[in-house]
Amino acid sequence: MEEELIGIKNSAVSLIIDAKNPKELEELKIQFLGRSGRLTLLIKKIPKLPLDKKAPVGRLANEIKNTIEETLETQDRNLRNIKTKTLQEGIDITMPGIKPAIGHLHPLTQVIYDVVDVFKSLGYQAANGPEIETDYYNFEALNIPKDHPARDTQQTFYLDTRSSKVEPGEIILRTQTSAMQARVMEKTKPPIRVIVPGKNFRYEQVDASHGFEFWHCEGFLVDTNVRLTDLFGTIDYVLRKLMGEKIKLKFATTNFPFVEPGVDTYMECTVCKGKGCSFCKYSGWSEIMPAGMIHPNVLKAVGYNPREVSGFAFAIGLSRLVTLRYQMNDLRLLTNPDLRILNQF
Amino acid sequence: MICIFYLLFSIFNITMLTPLSWLKEYVDITLPPEELGDKLTEIGLGTEKIEKTKDDTIFEFEITPNRPDLLSILGIAREIAAVEEKKIQFPKFYDLKNVKPQKALPLKMVTDSKINPRFTGIIIDGIRVGDSPQWLKDILTKAGQRPISNIVDITNYVMLELGNPIHAFDYDKIKGKVMRVHQAKGGEKFTSVDGITYHLPKGAVVISDEEKIIDLCGIKGGENTGTYEKTKTIFIRVPVEVPSLIRRTSQSLGLRSEASSIFERGVNAGGTVEALSRTVELILGNAGGEIVSPLYDIKKENFLPWPVNLSLQRLDKILGIEIPKAKVSSILESLNLKVKKVSDDKLRIAIPTYRNDLKIEEDIVEEVARFYGYNNFPKTLPSSQIPTKTVPYFKDYKLEEKVKEFFKAAGFSEIYSYSLVSETDLKDCEVNPDKTLRVDNPVSREFEYLRPSLKINLRKALLENRVNFKDINLFELGKIYLGSSIDNAREPYFLSGISNVKTYYEVKGLIEELFDELGAKNDISKNIQILDEGVFFEIDYDDLIKKIAARKRFVPIPKYPPITEDLTITLKDKDRVGNVIEKIKNQSNLIRKIEVIDRYESNVTFHITYQSDKRNLTREDVEGVREKILKTLK
Repeated sequence: MEEELIGIKNSAVSLIIDAKNPKELEELKIQFLGRSGRLTLLIKKIPKLPLDKKAPVGRLANEIKNTIEETLETQDRNLRNIKTKTLQEGIDITMPGIKPAIGHLHPLTQVIYDVVDVFKSLGYQAANGPEIETDYYNFEALNIPKDHPARDTQQTFYLDTRSSKVEPGEIILRTQTSAMQARVMEKTKPPIRVIVPGKNFRYEQVDASHGFEFWHCEGFLVDTNVRLTDLFGTIDYVLRKLMGEKIKLKFATTNFPFVEPGVDTYMECTVCKGKGCSFCKYSGWSEIMPAGMIHPNVLKAVGYNPREVSGFAFAIGLSRLVTLRYQMNDLRLLTNPDLRILNQF
Repeated sequence: MICIFYLLFSIFNITMLTPLSWLKEYVDITLPPEELGDKLTEIGLGTEKIEKTKDDTIFEFEITPNRPDLLSILGIAREIAAVEEKKIQFPKFYDLKNVKPQKALPLKMVTDSKINPRFTGIIIDGIRVGDSPQWLKDILTKAGQRPISNIVDITNYVMLELGNPIHAFDYDKIKGKVMRVHQAKGGEKFTSVDGITYHLPKGAVVISDEEKIIDLCGIKGGENTGTYEKTKTIFIRVPVEVPSLIRRTSQSLGLRSEASSIFERGVNAGGTVEALSRTVELILGNAGGEIVSPLYDIKKENFLPWPVNLSLQRLDKILGIEIPKAKVSSILESLNLKVKKVSDDKLRIAIPTYRNDLKIEEDIVEEVARFYGYNNFPKTLPSSQIPTKTVPYFKDYKLEEKVKEFFKAAGFSEIYSYSLVSETDLKDCEVNPDKTLRVDNPVSREFEYLRPSLKINLRKALLENRVNFKDINLFELGKIYLGSSIDNAREPYFLSGISNVKTYYEVKGLIEELFDELGAKNDISKNIQILDEGVFFEIDYDDLIKKIAARKRFVPIPKYPPITEDLTITLKDKDRVGNVIEKIKNQSNLIRKIEVIDRYESNVTFHITYQSDKRNLTREDVEGVREKILKTLK
């Protein structure tokens, strides 16, 4: 019976390889594998074999069945390829392709992912926190007590407290992602490396370079032996990774109550290439990344000893980074849902 | 007092218009304006603009809140002197210390150091009020101020020059010759020199004479005692005010003057006598008159320079570079900070009273760093340890990216919309504004409420795009703000989308696929709505994250082949496909998968897959199950 099986296999394979078209193939399939095909009939006899033969013959029969099926498939593919080649001759390869209907991710999202990636390579983890924030985390823990004039630079939205137990003025929309500094620090211990991309709110009149809702990425690092040169190096590395090696940067002294010394970072305006335009207030430079060494009072507020640990903090103006990267001349484009804008990204 | 500084309210920073010619009276400047501007920006005096005029150059500086001393020409000149390594030339001061008036007019002062730490003043009689000399008019105009009369102009000039606000009262109009400093009870009327009447808030620091309020301290003088043409005798007051009291009153009145800006940031408490001397010098020289009182200087403390210690080791540790001792000293001395060596490592530095911003060691570190030059520092990366623990408030951006890429692949484009929406927006989405979180001080009615759903903006976005596009799929991942009051406020992330292309079933399938992809389980049929504009969905993203299986688990490929068959079932009125699928599934554990492959009216075709892990299924096995199914569904 084994010989008979092998005979069937050989004859099937040679016939299949000689087949000229799918119809012939179909006939061969029925001839060997159909209900009363040559192989099928033989297989039906297997149960009648002596017990010790059943298993090996059964296995052989199965193998042969597989071989025939595979050969049929291979030949079928070969025959169809010939057909494809003939078809290809009728194709105009200069015709535009038919694109799948995929969507687009917002440029802000793309920049945030890049920012998260760059910082990840430096050992930072991303965090987020409440936008409805307390006066304490947004101001007081950051060395900005009530009545501090620095509050003028961050005009605040206050939440309606009429139907609540909260004192008016205590709950606000956060004006800075820096509000997360004390929140994170009081729940963990150094070493800390965190970034916080997120939305901020300030009571501002809207124009090309200001909005009442805008995106920042706060970041801070706390450890022993943190140096000002580390801050300069980090800013320089990050902005070059995000905006390209060739950008021009300069540092300046500034004041935020939660840092000392305070640093401001200016990047040559990419919209006008430093010539001066409405976007950079005709200065040729755009403020992009305010920073500084964390003020001892901030460390004290979360129970750290400023003699033992120190750190730096920074904020990247994400909305501005997006507009500078894509040379968009108006921050308002970022909240415009027009697909003629979104489809470009 | 009249508005002197050019207050740029739109960005809430104080800008100081500074003529170069005025600066040159105190310091010899050799750097060209552009270079000087760049250098000053680097050391913290933000140069916003440099404008060349006919006969001068006007700098526009942005002054940070910590540096009230830079709200004066002399203060700016001091920074320039430190940059240029030059000495300051001081103006002429009248010697008040040795003044011996020929006659003395009476004036009683009642004050309290808690609300008025220092009260310096003097009386001058026999002045002529008139126009200011041309040089004075010119320089004030260049500094952005309108000349008024010689007395007012001189007080303003000296305030601009030295940074101490000064007010001149008409002595003859002070009833009872008494000045009593006290706090307002609240509600009192007060008319300022510019003729505007205010209702004073409780706690406002004021000066009263025998019958009326004559001064809103640190903010504005009163109309009733202002200096006008007929004024012959004046009392000049140079005070120190309490920053928080001035700020509270100024804010509650919405009234701000250059004087209040200086006081709320902290005036040079040690400079009142000098400012008065300078004012007297200019008044006697330009308006005549003579001194007819002793020098009043009511104060509880002496306002002397205070010490701050600096450890050179700590300086180097914070900065990351070693700055030579001699360099440190020379920088500090150039800023008029007197340095005393306490030990090899420690310096004791005397801080002049106009530098309120220098209180701790770190403040001194900044002084050294900014004059060393931020752009001269090397750049290093932190060498410290990388944290290994997961940070509190961790946000998984990798997961977010996966979700967003999924929708992108499905043809959806992402929008970012405002969190603040209008009352009309809420009503359009049938949301009760009274149960929605609201800001007390919105920029406009259009942006008053915190969005309780992403539907509002997605719907609008779809409508706006219909002008230009036929097929629109949009999504947003953002916070929504829930709770009827801030006591129960929550702000979960929601993932929402809208489509005018996809059917309800397509949107449902899309979300099912996302959930499968993430290994999350949830009933999502309630999250999809059919709106006039299209199919809308919303998913509680924070909740979804919690339901994601930590890790997918591999299931071995089945050893035995499946058997499939299609069953067409006619649904009865109350039947729902979901229930039928559930019923079918319950009939046997051999049923592995049930798909709906066709539906025509109430006839639904189910594609059922039977499979066993243990053996090959036979036709008979399937028949048995099928009979059970048909029986249950009868």
